[in-house]
Amino acid sequence: MRAFEVVAARDSRHAVALLAEHAPSVKVLAGGTDLLVELKSSSHVPAVIIDISRARDLKTIAITDEGLSIGALVTHAEIMRSPIIGEMFPALVDAAHTIGAVQTRNLGTLGGNLVTGVPSMDSGPTLIALDARITIVGPAGRRQMPLAEFFLGPRKTVLKPDELLAEVVIPKENLGKPTQFLKFGLRRGQALALVNVAASLWVERGQVCVRPRIALGAVAPTVIRALKAEAYLEGRTITPEAMAEAGRISVGEAKPITDFRASAEYRRDLIAVLTKRALEGAYARALAKPVEA
Amino acid sequence: MANVTVNVNGETRTASVPPETTLLALLRDSFNLTGAKLGCDVGDCGACTVLVDGAAVNACLMLAVQADGRDVLTIEGLATMDRLHPIQKAFEDHGALQCGFCGPGVILSAKALLDESPDPTSQQIRDALAGNLCRCTGYTKMIAAIQFAARALRGEPVDKPA
Repeated sequence: MRAFEVVAARDSRHAVALLAEHAPSVKVLAGGTDLLVELKSSSHVPAVIIDISRARDLKTIAITDEGLSIGALVTHAEIMRSPIIGEMFPALVDAAHTIGAVQTRNLGTLGGNLVTGVPSMDSGPTLIALDARITIVGPAGRRQMPLAEFFLGPRKTVLKPDELLAEVVIPKENLGKPTQFLKFGLRRGQALALVNVAASLWVERGQVCVRPRIALGAVAPTVIRALKAEAYLEGRTITPEAMAEAGRISVGEAKPITDFRASAEYRRDLIAVLTKRALEGAYARALAKPVEA
Repeated sequence: MANVTVNVNGETRTASVPPETTLLALLRDSFNLTGAKLGCDVGDCGACTVLVDGAAVNACLMLAVQADGRDVLTIEGLATMDRLHPIQKAFEDHGALQCGFCGPGVILSAKALLDESPDPTSQQIRDALAGNLCRCTGYTKMIAAIQFAARALRGEPVDKPA
């Protein structure tokens, strides 16, 4: 690896000060599972790395006035072990479980997975299907935005060089919303998604679909919502046929590519099947544990 | 240069290294603990797996400075001069390793699993080993060895495998 300086941040405020001091030739180190790989292969390394891995204030998981707040530095392993998350959002636990392998999940963080911004990220779809918002801190203070607007393209986000992703918030109205995440990779471990899908929905009167969300990963430059499929399902009686149709509609909203992992045609088939199954899973969760919509 | 103090295998060790040094390089080059292997160097193969504060990590993906003040367990910390660790003994008895390059990482992944789940299912063992690649023996004997070691560590009577 090329030489760089490492400065440790005590907390998020300190990290922002350090970013302002060292920008633009600076990068934030959280879990390192993406960053170190990048630094090893790149000839352009920043002069300074700000190590935030000990910033305790970014590691909390808590219910706040806004909803469920998950600190950017929470690791995938911590998401899997969190009783709050396990109770409210088993889909987030499932999504975390599909990332890398044990070693990756022990180091890798939720914020890092989002900031790296690869289209196949496994953290994105479930959070977007839950209308998650993010909090960014920087020299101008805090700002919030929908997670769906955070991504600009492969490995591109709206985050400026002197800003830090601080937390992800699942809004209060979606706490406990029935959700299902599914990933199709070529192996169970250490595999990127060919396609990943998350679906969430509320069920009224035992069978009417309300506020459905479908988010697809690895099939476009960023994680995308299948808006037409959502509109098709809104207010509709949930049937196996309706869920299958929503899967077919989702295919038209994605722009999958052909690469060495799979062809675009194969990915399109996967979108239809996985979307249908994710909806079925979310619906089954809704029936198993009715929550007031 | 960065000063790093790590509790390695129960012993406090200090080194002064360039900031970009990985934990793996610190262990191998500064502390001469070469049990953790340099394989892919990008977090795919798991040959560099060590336990940091009890959790399995790829030492190639952690900077040495990030391990400052923490507990690190490498394969050298498992056996004593008199006795192999029960997981190592089980691997030996089952012929679970061939070339052995993946062994230190696999055994430490198994230890992290058994520390948390003393009676794991076969699926839990497979999940725990998903980040450790073995290209010679395969995993069947490893899984059997880990189940055997789990019984031994739980204090249950175990028969030596045939």
